[in-house]
Amino acid sequence: MTDLAPDIGNRSKFTPKPDLPPPPNTTGVSGWLRYNLFNGVFNSILTALSIIAIFFMVKAFYEWAFVNAIWEASSRDECRISSTKIGTCWAGVNVWFTRFIYGRYADAEIWRINLAFIIFIIWMVPLWLPKITSKIFIGLSAVLIYPFLAGYMFLGGERGWFMEVMVALSLTCFLFVLIHSLLCLTTGLGLYGWIIKVSGFSKKNEHQHKYPVIGFTLLTVAVVAFLINDITFKYMSNNLWGGLFLTLVISGIAIASALPAGIILALGRRSKMAVIRVLCVAFIELFRSVPLITILFMATTMFPLFLPGGMVINKLASAIVAVCLFAAAYMAEVVRGGLQAIPKGQYEAAEAVGLTYWQATVLIVMPQALKFMIPNIVGNFMGLLKDTTLVSIIGLYDLLGMINAVSHDPKWIGLHHEPLFTAAVLFFIGCFAMSKYSQHLERSLGAGNNR
Amino acid sequence: MKKLSLFGLGAGLIAALSFTPELAIADGHKMSTLETVKKRGHLRCQVGQPSPGFYNLKKDGTWVGSDVSVCRAVAAAIFGDPNKVEFQSVTSTVRFTALANGESDMLSRTATWTIFRDTQLGLNFTATNFYDGQGFIVRKDSGIKSAMELKGATVCVATGTTTELNLTDFSRMNNLDIQPVVFSDNNVRNESYLKGNCDAMTNDKSGLASSMAGFPDKSAHVILPETISKEPLAPAVRKGDDQWHDIVKWTVFALISAEELGITQANVDSMAKNPPNPEVARFLGVEKEMNKGLGLDKKWAHWIIKSVGNYGEIYEKYMGSGPEGIGIARKGSPNDLWTRGGLMYSPPFR
Repeated sequence: MTDLAPDIGNRSKFTPKPDLPPPPNTTGVSGWLRYNLFNGVFNSILTALSIIAIFFMVKAFYEWAFVNAIWEASSRDECRISSTKIGTCWAGVNVWFTRFIYGRYADAEIWRINLAFIIFIIWMVPLWLPKITSKIFIGLSAVLIYPFLAGYMFLGGERGWFMEVMVALSLTCFLFVLIHSLLCLTTGLGLYGWIIKVSGFSKKNEHQHKYPVIGFTLLTVAVVAFLINDITFKYMSNNLWGGLFLTLVISGIAIASALPAGIILALGRRSKMAVIRVLCVAFIELFRSVPLITILFMATTMFPLFLPGGMVINKLASAIVAVCLFAAAYMAEVVRGGLQAIPKGQYEAAEAVGLTYWQATVLIVMPQALKFMIPNIVGNFMGLLKDTTLVSIIGLYDLLGMINAVSHDPKWIGLHHEPLFTAAVLFFIGCFAMSKYSQHLERSLGAGNNR
Repeated sequence: MKKLSLFGLGAGLIAALSFTPELAIADGHKMSTLETVKKRGHLRCQVGQPSPGFYNLKKDGTWVGSDVSVCRAVAAAIFGDPNKVEFQSVTSTVRFTALANGESDMLSRTATWTIFRDTQLGLNFTATNFYDGQGFIVRKDSGIKSAMELKGATVCVATGTTTELNLTDFSRMNNLDIQPVVFSDNNVRNESYLKGNCDAMTNDKSGLASSMAGFPDKSAHVILPETISKEPLAPAVRKGDDQWHDIVKWTVFALISAEELGITQANVDSMAKNPPNPEVARFLGVEKEMNKGLGLDKKWAHWIIKSVGNYGEIYEKYMGSGPEGIGIARKGSPNDLWTRGGLMYSPPFR
């Protein structure tokens, strides 16, 4: 037996040696350069040519944007650097910048837009904080209730009883979200729990807990409605809305409505009920086959011709509806693509455990499908943000509309490169932020796949 | 979770919009345009996409310009307040549709008065407030003194309106063999001309003047004397409401008449107190009342001049050499008063 046993003791024992360092020309900056840029004669030539091209482009841009730039002037004529040359006239952009952002909104009322925007941010922040409970309520209220507050702040004027109630409700929700978040962060007990505790209902039966909460909410709405009763904002017709503000209003509403509408349409298209399926297919195919500009023209110019005489539909409202319908049709096909990526086994498994159609869709199919769809969805949203510039053709002064107005102001006549560049930068910031956020979403939702 | 609920954002804001008082003015019986405007509380006046001098946005977001002043004058005639106007600005493709479908009450935007438009598009032109015409601009050092010398020249021209058509007609009629270089955007056309890609550039003369105002070397260019087309620009209204047609027409005439009578924004109040002659007294509603048929207040003309000034003042401010103007000389042009050899002529106020 001993003969057959391997003679371990006599073998020289394996002692690991430290790895040799990689060859010096493959590490560090020089190694990276060699591997990526000067990997062979042909690639080296390409690299050299590219560097030269980039150098000249950057130099030209630098000279255009900075060297020949005039920052302070009151008209384009003052931007002259010689008798035959006008320097880069950032002064014009500077003077017009408020208009790029807010359109024709009166300067004295701009704070309303800013405040509404800040309220929205504050409303949404708790969604990203840990420790906060009831995020569903916060998110729902931000998209369902907040628009009434924002709508009134933007528009102003007299409030009917409906808007009075909705604005008060909206403010109440905002207060609740604030207080709830603070309570969550400090005591760990949300607003709901706090009300029950304070009202002394905590010892009572669980299903009675809702009474103090409802009572407290109604009371707060009434108090808020009473407090804001005398506060009215100056009426700012949506004819005056414009600039980036208008772009965000249109694309924001379209983005917010596209996904739910798209999901409904996509489910409808896959439905087994013939009428629903045919209607959904007809809607999707109609709106996907017609250019957005045609839909906009139809909605704002042709549609009013078919209305009874004297009836005029708000142009902005009809443009928003048109953009939303268009976006929904495109989104429906993205969602359908995602749904088709889910293997049939998932549906069958869901049915096997006794889930209904809606339970299976909401709990099993959609969460998986949405994850696959994120790049396409965000791509669609970015497209939508840029597509809204088409409304400048139907006479709404969105960002591009205001940009175009500069070159027709007698003081800044012909100035259009600099404003267009500004618009490009603003759109890049918006789209890049969306793109980064989508990558973040993919990572956090796709965490399960990396395990 | 958030996404499932986002639909409400759209519904909510649209609901908010639709609760505005101005959304729909539904009228069972047929209201006249004047009644509709009065009930609404403001005039809806259509201008075009910004065009220097005629209608353009200022950096504070207000509309200014000579055509804008006509809108304000009509608002002043009705309400005594030139700010009771909502300006609508649409592309020239849909301008007449937007008037026909009731979106706008009137149109005051460099629209040329032609027989086709006046008789077949469901609109009525009122009174010409600017006589334009197509011309050419060339570099001075080219030595060209007349459009007839443009033989074989390349000419930068913008698409969209009749400008291109007029150019080819002119070229064919005079055997000039002009080569049009076509652009869709005025700014790009101007730059191309400045870079020397074309020997000349053509547009309405007012447009050429405003383009030239933006050139770095204005003195190196010259507008040739020939005018190759007639472009009488006039405000227009929908057909079928004669009273409204009269209001807009006589508002334009009031602007011209005030200049003839020497009434200005500055002296209108003192003139109304002590009218120097019966004509002025009639015009300002002091003596005989000229407002009955129009359905306006008897001080309507007074309000107009008080708010926007007379025709000459408006011209000087926006089209002429004023600080906001685009520098088109008025003297000797058709836009001067008939008493000074121009075409601006108002029927009498009596």
